[in-house]
Amino acid sequence: MLILIAWRNIWRNKRRTLITAGSVFFAIILAVIMRSATDGAYEGMINNVVSFSSGYIQLHQNGYWEERSVENTMKVNQSLLSEIEKENGVQFCTPRLESFALASANLKTKGIAFIGIDPDKERPAAKIDEKIRSGNYFNNANDDGIIIGEGVADYYKVKVGDSLVFISQGYHASSAAAVFPIRGIVSLGSPQLNNNLAYLTLNNARRFLSADSLCTSISIYLKDVNALNDVATSLRTKYQTRGIEVMTWKEMMPEVDQFIVADRSGHFIVIGILYLVISFGLYGTVLMMTYERRHEFGILVSIGMKKRLLMAIVFLETMFVAFFGAVIGMLSSFLLLLYFHYNPIQFTGQLKEVYQEFGMDAVLGLSLSPSIFYYQALTVFVLAFAASVYPGLKILRLKPLEAMRS
Amino acid sequence: MRGNSSYAEMTIRIIRPSWEREMKMKAWSKGKKLSMIFVTAPQKEKGTVFLKRDKEVWNYIPSIERNIKLPPSMMSQSWMGTDFTNDDLVKEASAEDDYTHVLLGDTSIDSRICYKIAMTPKPEASVVWGKVLVWIDKKDYLQLLAEFYDEENVLVNVMKASDVKDLGGRLLPSKMEMIPVDKKGHKTVLIYDQLKFELPIKDDFFSTQNMKQLK
Repeated sequence: MLILIAWRNIWRNKRRTLITAGSVFFAIILAVIMRSATDGAYEGMINNVVSFSSGYIQLHQNGYWEERSVENTMKVNQSLLSEIEKENGVQFCTPRLESFALASANLKTKGIAFIGIDPDKERPAAKIDEKIRSGNYFNNANDDGIIIGEGVADYYKVKVGDSLVFISQGYHASSAAAVFPIRGIVSLGSPQLNNNLAYLTLNNARRFLSADSLCTSISIYLKDVNALNDVATSLRTKYQTRGIEVMTWKEMMPEVDQFIVADRSGHFIVIGILYLVISFGLYGTVLMMTYERRHEFGILVSIGMKKRLLMAIVFLETMFVAFFGAVIGMLSSFLLLLYFHYNPIQFTGQLKEVYQEFGMDAVLGLSLSPSIFYYQALTVFVLAFAASVYPGLKILRLKPLEAMRS
Repeated sequence: MRGNSSYAEMTIRIIRPSWEREMKMKAWSKGKKLSMIFVTAPQKEKGTVFLKRDKEVWNYIPSIERNIKLPPSMMSQSWMGTDFTNDDLVKEASAEDDYTHVLLGDTSIDSRICYKIAMTPKPEASVVWGKVLVWIDKKDYLQLLAEFYDEENVLVNVMKASDVKDLGGRLLPSKMEMIPVDKKGHKTVLIYDQLKFELPIKDDFFSTQNMKQLK
């Protein structure tokens, strides 16, 4: 009964209802898009940087992170890898052997970093095979070729089919020198990687460095990114005793994490201001409605309507309007986000460079994480509730005679 | 001491806190300016050649078929992962011309009576050390111990020689140890397995072309 009255009441003055609902609607769209864009940017950043370079969690020989040299490597075999993949929350893991070498071709020489990878296991991780610009990905685990970043290829002016000469220091200070034919050229997003990185197969890197069955790291990818700390803790209790250090990407790349934390708190303030505007809008309409209907309230109370019930009606009305605006706002913002999620906006110009410096694709990827929506909905209801407190009080203090005369 | 020309077969052992590694090589030298080192073991590094001509060092690596002239920037870096630097290969022989010597008295090492001599580099000499102390056996004139100090007078390297025996008709220490003082547990041991002197070697043996043909 009350609900029906409240529902009819809000449609008595369509214009007012629509304006109020509209202000909620636009606020929700703005807030959702903003949260979605920033969260999407963070997700993209974590995805690009983390999954591309380190993985979410890495295992190394104790002391490797302090001194990243081939001497601080650990023995890795298939049974260790399958053991890790059986851990709770682990999607898959991939072994890597990283080092540096002096690389030379066409009378040019410079130091570049190389990573020995398991070609099949690396497919879902760094997704190098999807970023090949020319040539091919490794054929098999014993491929003796090399895949280089675009910037490296530009520097040496080499193309697929040419060779690079590598000189480095291997395991136990052995000398390492070899010629690697270029199999593919890969586009690696961030200029820092693009200009300095090359990939070998793990077996080939081990041969080159005389580092039989050794790895510098095992990169672990998670089923659920939010379980990062739980998985890391359980891995730590298991492997720390074996002289293996467990590090999350936040520990390995604190600058990325700190950037996200700092940026997110900035956005919180902006969203807070946005909500302040909505709540005043909502409050304003509710207030106006209360004054407009003082006469009506006065009559209702004088013919025996209970003030508490009247309060409930006003409260329901406010909720309805907020709910109406919120649902339409969320629906349309969801559709909007869905479109941009699958057709991301490409950045150009200066913004593109900024993104690339952080090692990210210059794309505005939008997040569709459900938390964005229900947080907005929750906030709007809290605001609507707060906005209906004043009119409620007003009704409680209503003197029917004065009200009817106004 | 080394004669006009020499041929040596030696074993070099790199000792580190957690591992050890051994290499075998052959070395030829003529006068102070020419020398050649050919690595024979381990298999992976076999065929690697170092050629020293005067102040230049060349390095031939068979697996990439490249001959590299070591740039000045690389001279202070480790030679083949040992505690010797590339510079040690080149600089060794200029000790007499580049230093002023002061006799500090007699001491004994391994029951051999030695002269203890302080060598300070001459101002114009291109020497990295601030001071070098050497212990020379009085009877056979063998350098049994050397201490290398930097410009702040801090001890950096110690070189010990021992196992004096007959090598190629001469009495020489057959074992040399290079010990970097600031790295605990690090050491490089060089053992002469065979030494021959006064062999007829032509100057053009020490050429970059010949590096690729050595066996």
